[in-house]
This record gives sequence, structure tokens and C-alpha cells, in this order.
Amino acid sequence: MLSSEFVIFIAIGYVGLLFLIAYVSDRRSRSGKAGFLHSPFVYTLAISVYCTSWTFYGAVGSAARNGLEYLAIYLGPTIVFIGWWFILRRLVRISHNQRITSIADLLSSRFGKSSRLAVLITVIAVIGIAPYIALQLKAVTSSIQAIAGTAESPGLRGVDEVSLALAIAAGMALFTILFGTRNVDAKEQHLGVVAAIAFEAVVKLAALVAIGIFVVYAGGGLEAIFSRAEAAGLDIYSIGTFDDRWIAMNVLSAAAILCLPRQFQITIVENSNESHLRTASWAFPGYLLLMSLFTLPIALFGLTSMPTGANPDMFVLTLPLAAGQEGLALFSFIGGFSSATSMIIVESIALSIMVSNHIVMPLVLRFSQGGGTVRGQGGVSSLLLNSRRFSIGLILGFGFLYFYFTRNSNALAPIGLISFCGVAQFLPSIIAALFWREATLKAATAAVAVGFVVWAWSSFMPSFAGSSALVADIMAHGPWGLAWLRPEALFGLTDIDPLVNVVFWSLFLNSATLVVVSLLTSPSALERVQAALFTDLFRTSTAGSPAVIRGSATARDLRFVAERVFGPARAHALFAGVPAVPPAQFIDRLERELAGSIGAASAHVMLSKVVSGDAISIEEVFEMAGETRQAIEYSQELERTSEELRSTAAQLENANLKLRELDGQKDDFLSQVSHEVRTPMASIRSFSEILLEDGLEDTQRRRFVSTIHQESLRLTKLLDEILDLSALERGERPWDTVRVDAEAALDRAIEVCAPLAQRRNMQIVIGSRAGRATVEGDADRLCQVLINLIVNAIKYNDADKPIVEVRSEVIDRSFIVEVADNGPGIAAQEAESIFDMFTRGERGRSDPTPGAGLGLAISRKIILRMSGALELVPRHTRGACFRVTLPAT
Amino acid sequence: MDRKLISGALFLTLLGSLLLLPPLASVFQIQRRFFGVPTELIYLFACWVALIATAYWLSKRLPREREAEPRDGDES
Repeated sequence: MLSSEFVIFIAIGYVGLLFLIAYVSDRRSRSGKAGFLHSPFVYTLAISVYCTSWTFYGAVGSAARNGLEYLAIYLGPTIVFIGWWFILRRLVRISHNQRITSIADLLSSRFGKSSRLAVLITVIAVIGIAPYIALQLKAVTSSIQAIAGTAESPGLRGVDEVSLALAIAAGMALFTILFGTRNVDAKEQHLGVVAAIAFEAVVKLAALVAIGIFVVYAGGGLEAIFSRAEAAGLDIYSIGTFDDRWIAMNVLSAAAILCLPRQFQITIVENSNESHLRTASWAFPGYLLLMSLFTLPIALFGLTSMPTGANPDMFVLTLPLAAGQEGLALFSFIGGFSSATSMIIVESIALSIMVSNHIVMPLVLRFSQGGGTVRGQGGVSSLLLNSRRFSIGLILGFGFLYFYFTRNSNALAPIGLISFCGVAQFLPSIIAALFWREATLKAATAAVAVGFVVWAWSSFMPSFAGSSALVADIMAHGPWGLAWLRPEALFGLTDIDPLVNVVFWSLFLNSATLVVVSLLTSPSALERVQAALFTDLFRTSTAGSPAVIRGSATARDLRFVAERVFGPARAHALFAGVPAVPPAQFIDRLERELAGSIGAASAHVMLSKVVSGDAISIEEVFEMAGETRQAIEYSQELERTSEELRSTAAQLENANLKLRELDGQKDDFLSQVSHEVRTPMASIRSFSEILLEDGLEDTQRRRFVSTIHQESLRLTKLLDEILDLSALERGERPWDTVRVDAEAALDRAIEVCAPLAQRRNMQIVIGSRAGRATVEGDADRLCQVLINLIVNAIKYNDADKPIVEVRSEVIDRSFIVEVADNGPGIAAQEAESIFDMFTRGERGRSDPTPGAGLGLAISRKIILRMSGALELVPRHTRGACFRVTLPAT
Repeated sequence: MDRKLISGALFLTLLGSLLLLPPLASVFQIQRRFFGVPTELIYLFACWVALIATAYWLSKRLPREREAEPRDGDES
């Protein structure tokens, strides 16, 4: 038979083993041989400190009483870890950057390094965790009693529950003090503790799985266990599983995994590498799943096989005991003991850091002028250690007191939920700290305070109903008979579950206060600086954090401060190579290093005292930063404006150039026109003068008159063309845009040109034809262009066997006409210029009756108006080829 | 691609929350048992396993750029 002395002896031996593990791990890590301790799996196992006696013993009790409800406690954290990218990653990053030491430090740092907020958070955490510590004490006490109840244990006879719990609390306090406060780590990381906690995580998982397998085996398989429970009338359907209580518990557990001081300590502060979170994101939910896999079978098997009235919270222990499996029962006891110790160790270390950094340090700083009272090297660090030891005692004392006053209550899980709801009051402020830049210190303080008051009234106080008649009266009738203030039915909501009642009202009023007060108040300068650091976490570099303390403190003064906190060795390393008057960046870095030991607010106060001599105030710094930014913005604005001006000027210059060019073209045009008009006018004038003389022969006279006639015809034609051109350019001419049968226009042009070709003894060869094609435009104008092209081809062809070839086709919705000849062709350098006004080709210039050189220019204008193109096709054989391309419809 | 993965991670988180809460979870409260185990228990554990598996898949792929250096060798 197991005796209670034996299990207590085993428990003490187990604690010794933990101590050994922590000691060896610390030693190895100091000598740099702790490779496996930095593994992400050790980190994940340490996070599993989430699973306490509540999970080990209480979940079975919860399943026995409330069905599937126990699962909600593990599903909330699963969601938070699966979404690690969005919240946990930010928390880890910001805590690394800012050397955050606790959840109170995080909120205080974000909201302007406020000492007052840190104190408030710390006080709430200490009070809120007391029930949770009590839960562990109760579980360990019950487990020892469960073993003692089955055996003759003379040593424990006459020792009642309370003294047993007190002894356990004292033992735990002593153990945690020895364990967690051997030194003030510069970064508040406790590698040895983490290693021990990871070991405990393995032990408790193994124990619970072993019990689970035993139960399934003893119960004859899963189906048999469930069927027997069903037959015994244990129907989980009688409890509406997925109701508002389910939602409330999921919300609470998700909040708790972020807000519980021990979870923050392990997940955020003890995190040595951000990528470990990556592994924990799936491995921790996996651990939770394994932990809760056998809970329901154990509960159902216990309910059906144990005598009625047996405490379901202790099934994990009493089932193997009842079956006579003493070894397994012992293993189970160690598993439960593991769960309790790991929780108590980490929780009280985390809380003691908060108490010493945020309550003791500020008090010491306030009552010491310039650091006068705490003399001697390492003075602050020994003060810190002592205050932490004292805090651990205090925290376990609170836990014991809570246990003492609520010892009549039975179940474990409801006690844990009280703590969950208490720390969940930090959640709105944490979310705002990470994502909402406008959240202010006043708002966060008010929100947490409001949430705390509602929680204290509706969740914390009711647990004393069993030991206080006053509380019982308030519970029944409300204070001063105000029924709507009854703790478990706030504002008259009597229909809902008390847990849902407090979760809803506390978190709703908390968040609402946070938002409304933030909107009504404005943040201080330091708050704004910190808010930017937190919310723009991934946009700004750590090096860019503004140095908020400035001044000309000497290295000696600063070193004095550093030595008192870090001890001489670390201070020496820190100050190596620092000039006598350290730069602002160094002071900033020192502040962050100090914050890693004593919290942001205390570090800020401490350094401010040293550099206060001629330090400028934070408001001034911010003002300066603001002015600099304004100046930068202003100069950027100026630069943009002048850039705009420059581009406008460039555009104007371009326009001016174009105008001048056009002006030049106009002059050229005029002089060319005058020149062109002058030549026929000159010959008309001279011939008319000759005609005016007497004594001319008739034949001569006739010849001169015909010359004058020809010249005037040419002149008229020239003037017509010029008019035509200018009309085209200004778009004055009436212009029909209709669907035109392009092939018909081509036929007409060929017909018109045929007599001229015949006269010159030439042949117009009709090549392949498109057959049918319509284009948008003016039929007469199109015809004019084609005639012009064919006439040119005829006129300037001097070949022996002159040929003009006309062909047309439709390709890709384009109507194409080509007019080719075997004449002299057009020189490559003239290929573009022949389309200019008054330009004639080589051949045209030597022609005895030259045209005005406007034909091609006009043709090109017309075709352009019809959205087409007129170009000269380069070809290898003799002759020229013009191509008209028009969009076919 | 990275942005898609991050969106996927957000979707997984939100979907996970929805799957585990009513009304979606209530869909499986159908008073039936498989091998003696109630449907909703099977459903919750199935969701749980699926979430863990997807989180594992994502954790190998979510971007690693600019991940903070180990805390010890830190800074300035």
C-alpha cells in the first residue's frame, strides 16, 4: 500500500531531481553547451506549463460534471497559436526590441512607460492569480489525501486539510525561491527553469496518457466505456454543449494564453529565438490535444465504476488505486505534482518579477535621492533578489489565504476560470497596444480598472459566499437591496450563466472604456513615441527608436548606475570603449538594457535621475522631432513644387520651339508660294508685253497666246491646289464620311487615267484585285488620290516599255492599293521628302511642264483624314511603288 | 506568394474559430454515435487535428525574412 509519507518523500525526491535538472542546464548553458536547450521543442514543452493540476485532475472533473465543456479550455489557445503570425509574433518581436520583462512591463512600456499602470497591472495579476495558486494547493492536498484515505497513514492522521495545504504552500515557496531567484538575470531568462519545466511537461503528459491507456484497457475499449455510460444514464446530450458558456470559455482561454503572467513569461520573455514560435504554433496545440485525448473516457469510466460521491477531480488518481495499480497511481501522483509545481514555479517567478520591478523598485527610487540609499556594488541587484523572494512568499501566501477562505467549494475548474477571467481584463489593452496607435494611457488604466472592478464583484467575491454571510447575502439580494447589482446577475440578466454574465460585462465595459476614453483624451509625448514603436513594429528598425533621454551625463555616472543593477562584470563589458561623455544612442541602449532587468518604467526613472542635470524634457525632444519632421515635410513639399515648375517650364520651352518651327514653316510656305506663282506670272507678263508690240506674225501671236493660256491654267491649278491644301489643313471643306465602295473608286480612277496612258502609249496593268471592299471616307477624295498616284506613275515613266500596275487587296481589315511603275523610281534620300509641299522628285524637276509639287502632300493629307496611310514602298526592282492603306469596314 | 500565405494564415485562424463555435459546431450535435463516441466529440477532435496539420504546413512556408536574431547576440 502507498502511504502518504512515502508519496511525500517521493515528491521531495522529485523536486530534488527538478533542481538538479535546472542546475545542470544552467551550468551547461553558461559554458555554452546547451544546444538542445535552445531547441524549439523544449520551448514548446515549456509553454505547456499552461496545463496545470486543472488539466491533470480538474479536466476530468469538469468532463464528469459538464460534458465536453473542458475542451474549450484547450481550443482557445489552439486558435491563438495557429494565428501566431498576427499576435504572438508581434509580442515576441516587441518584447525583444524593448527588453520587456513581464506583461505589466509591456503595457507600461507601450503607454508611456507609466509606473502607475504597471503597479495596477501587477496588483490585479497578483490578486487574479491567487485562486489559481489555490487551485494547485487544493489539487496537491487532495491528491495526498486521496492516497492517505486508502491506506493506513499514521503520520497524517490528525493533520487536517488546511495545515497540509499550508505546509505545501510553504514548501513550494521555499522551493521556488531556491529555484528561481538565485541571480538576477540580465534578460530575465531562466534557462534552468525552462529546462525543468519542459521535463515536467513530458512527465505529466506521459502520466496522463498512461492513465488513459489503462482506463481504456480496464474499461474494455472506447465503445464499451461510452456505451456503459449511456446505459447508466450519463448523457452528455442533457447539457447543451455549444451554448453561450462554450463561447465564453473559448474566449477566456484564448485570452488567458496571452495574459497569464506565466504564459507571458515562458512564451514571450523566455523566447530565445523568434523562429521557435513557428514550431510551437503547431506543436503546442498538438500537446494540448494529446493531453485532452483521454479526459472524457477517464471521466465516464470513473462515473460508472467508482462509488457515487467519489470526487471526480481525483479520478486520475483513484481509478488506478481502486484497481490496485499502485505503480501507476504513483506515476499519476507525480504527474499531478509536476503540473502543480511547474505552474507555481513559473507563475510566482513571473509575478515576483512584476512586484519587484514595478512596485518595489519605484518605491526605492522615489525615496532615494540620486541613488543615494542603495549603496555598494550590486546593491540594486541584491535588493531585487530580496524583493523577489519576499514576493514569492507573498504570492503563495495569497494563494493559501484564498484556499483557506474558499475551502468549502468542491470543483477545481471553476476556481481556475475565476483567474482566467481576472487576467483576461488585460486583453483589450494588449490588443490596443499592438494595433491601435490612438489608445492612451488614461484609457488603458481606466479600462483595466473597470474590468477589474466588474470581475472582483461578479467573479472573485462570489467565491467567498461559503465563508462569509455578508457575501452570501449580497449574492442573494444585491448590495443595499439593489437586485440589479447582484454579482451573478448584473443589470438584471438573470437568465444567463454566471460565468457568461461576468465575461460579457467585464470585457464589454473594459473595451468600451478603452475606446471611449482613448477618443476623449490625448496621449503624452512619450506615449506617442512608444505607440509608434509598438504599432509600426515591422516598419521601423530597432536602431531607429528615438533616444528620449538626452543630456551630458558622464560615463562614470552611468556606470555607477549600471554596476548597481548588473554587477561590475557585466557593467564593465557594457562600458568597454565608451567615451567619457557617451552619445545619446548609448544612453538609449543602456536604458533598454536596464529595462531588461528592472522594467521600462523603473529604468526610465533611474536614468532620468542621473542625466537630469541638463537633460531636455521629453516634450522638448518630441517637439524637436516634430519640428524636424515638419521641416522635412516642408522641404519635400518645396522640392515637389519646384519639380512641377521645372517640368512646366520645359513644356513651355517645347511649345515655344514648336511655334517657332511652325512660324518658319509658314515663312517657307509663303516664299515658296510666291516663287511658284512668280514663274508663271513672269512668263505671262513677258509674253503679254511682246503681244502688245506691233508687227507680230499671226502664227507667232497665236503661239504666245497659247503659252499665256497654258501658264494661266497652271497658275489656276496651283492656286486651286493651295486653297485645297489649306482647306484640308484647317478642315474647312465639306467632307462626307460615309461608307465608300473603295473598289469602285479605284475603277473610276483607272478609267479616268486610261486616255492619258493611251496617249503616252502605255499600258495600265490591273493586278490582283480585292473584289469587294468598303472604307469610311469621301469617295471623290479617294478617287482624287488614286488618280493623282496613277497620273504621276504615267507622267514620270520614261521606260522603253512603260507599264503601270495597279493592284488591291484586303488584309487584316485593311484595304490596300498599290500603284507601281517601272520608271526611274525615287531615290532613297527622297523617300520621305517627296510628300512635303512644293517638293518634286528628281524626275519631276526636269519635267518641261512641272507640277506645283503639292499633289502628294494633298493626297497624304486626304488619306490621313480617312485614318489611313500613304507611303512609298521600298522595292528592289526598277520603278516606284506607292501604297495606300485604309481601314476596311 | 508570401502575402497569400499570410492571408491564408489569417483565414485559417478565423475559420478555426468559426468551426469550433456555434452555429457551425452545433451542426454536428445530431445525437448519433460512432463506435459509441458522440459525433460532436469526433467533430471537435477532427477539426483540431486538421487545424494542427494546416498550421504545421503553414509554419514551414510562412516568410522568414527579417526574423529577429537570437536574443543573445543582439544589437547595436
